[in-house]
Amino acid sequence: MEDDATHNDPWKSWFQLYGPKLLLCARQWTRSLADAEDVVQEAFVRFWRHQRDLPGEPMALLITSVRRAALDLARRESRRTAREEFADGGLEDNPPLFQITLEQDDRRDAIEAALRLLPEEQREVLVLKIWGELTFDQIAQQLAIPANTAASRYRYALAALRQALTAADCHG
Amino acid sequence: MDDELLSLEAELKNLRPAAPSARLAGKVERALAEPAPVAFTPAPAVIVRRPSRAWWLYASALPVAAAVTFLLVVTARRTPPARAEAVAVAEPAAPMFKPVAAENVLYAVRDEGLVTLDDGTAARRERLQYVDTITWRNPRTNASVRWTVPREEVRVVPVKFQ
Repeated sequence: MEDDATHNDPWKSWFQLYGPKLLLCARQWTRSLADAEDVVQEAFVRFWRHQRDLPGEPMALLITSVRRAALDLARRESRRTAREEFADGGLEDNPPLFQITLEQDDRRDAIEAALRLLPEEQREVLVLKIWGELTFDQIAQQLAIPANTAASRYRYALAALRQALTAADCHG
Repeated sequence: MDDELLSLEAELKNLRPAAPSARLAGKVERALAEPAPVAFTPAPAVIVRRPSRAWWLYASALPVAAAVTFLLVVTARRTPPARAEAVAVAEPAAPMFKPVAAENVLYAVRDEGLVTLDDGTAARRERLQYVDTITWRNPRTNASVRWTVPREEVRVVPVKFQ
């Protein structure tokens, strides 16, 4: 039944494919899961109506749209204007960032905990690279930083994650 | 990156982000079911366009462009029929000139200070001077025609005092 619905509504298959990744990206730039969902909704609807026929990678366009919607939301609510200041809330919510599986739940928890402890500028690059599947050049454009800086932040993030996970393993 | 980081990277890639809630999917569905709003771009309060003082300088480009076009048409007509047929067979529907470039160069901005609008609100008036250039090119002969025209905009931007 759901397959039929997905087949009849092409946006549903797109949303199933890109929705989880977009939500994870949005949570880097919003203060709560509810805000992140609002941002994803706005960005996806905008993309579906006006941008889906544009050339280029859909994911890059969608992430651009998500980021713009997140910045707009932050401005609208007069919270904080600088990205570094507002990009810390989404991950402070308790809802898990990743799908819960029956196996290796402890490991997933440890990774999530380590991810939440990363500096924001490293975490957003890591999320955009791993789950947003953007290149360093695309990340650089999104964040208005040099591509080399994006690559450095990515390596630092991986190294910090490894260190945190090793420490967690040592402490049982 | 060393092997350990590469294996960590691979492990991270295997983690699948949590799916959005059904509530979000429902909101998207409802939003897409609604008619799309008409795109609206907020414009400055007032835009006044008028020719620049040096309009005659730029306007002189028009007769030049017309002359070039005329010469190109005449040249095309003088082309031997056999060759013309060959070209026509190769590109039967190709238009003679196609627009290939358009640019707007902002070359001056003048802040004319604060003004008071009719409704009593304060606004800042700016005068922006552009040169718009459009280029057409004939793909067969590679001839080009460029049209340049000055444009002046007066923007009145409402000002908020805090």
